[in-house]
Amino acid sequence: MGPLIVPGTLDSLSVIGKYIMDIAAKAGLDKKAAYRLRLAVDEIATNIVIHGYDEANRQGDLELRTELNEADLTIFLEDTGASYTPGQFSDRTDLHLPLEERQIGGLGVYLAMQGVDKFHYEHFEGRNRHTFVVNRTPT
Amino acid sequence: MEIMIKTIDQVTVVDITGDIDGKTAPEAQAHILPLLEPGCKVMLDMSRVDYMSSAGLRMMLSMHRQTAGNQGQLILVGLSEEIQDTMSATGFLNFFTIQDTAEAGLASLK
Repeated sequence: MGPLIVPGTLDSLSVIGKYIMDIAAKAGLDKKAAYRLRLAVDEIATNIVIHGYDEANRQGDLELRTELNEADLTIFLEDTGASYTPGQFSDRTDLHLPLEERQIGGLGVYLAMQGVDKFHYEHFEGRNRHTFVVNRTPT
Repeated sequence: MEIMIKTIDQVTVVDITGDIDGKTAPEAQAHILPLLEPGCKVMLDMSRVDYMSSAGLRMMLSMHRQTAGNQGQLILVGLSEEIQDTMSATGFLNFFTIQDTAEAGLASLK
């Protein structure tokens, strides 16, 4: 599948969701694996729009590319927003607490990391790149 | 996403159709929160929602806090398996009252 380039706005989330579900179907992922991949990419795309672009008073695109081989499906998500370290949100030590006592931030990154087999973030030449890898189940 | 709100047997039924994501969750929340008055009985029907991100969890958390603060009752029905998985992974599932169907949900609020 070709790349997808959409504006870095919340309106783009549904288009991205459809793009991911299409490639997940092409890769033969089962229903739950496809859902978790969509969730992972959607959570990160949402964070990029809100924190990388809107809150930083920046504008830019979200660029998605895919690589499909026999072993796995890889999604690359790139943006030119303010950089941040997703890892800083990934430790969820309060998941057992009653909802009244929870800090709600960071759940999206947690779900993204849980939802795929490999998750990777890098910042280079003013761009951010998130990489999501899902193993293809043998048929 | 579309929201339909109706009242059945003094229960406020909030029926959402479509995806609940970073775009639509704040819109849904703005519609729903003003309905959660003191002593209210609210049923959120999710049977026509195929996808929900953490933005939806945040919406559910706000609903939970407001109904609890108002001595109201909140019940969720029609959650897909995938949405239940997300709620389970984040420890949300146990804090909500859940029924499989709208019929069961209404019966339990009587």
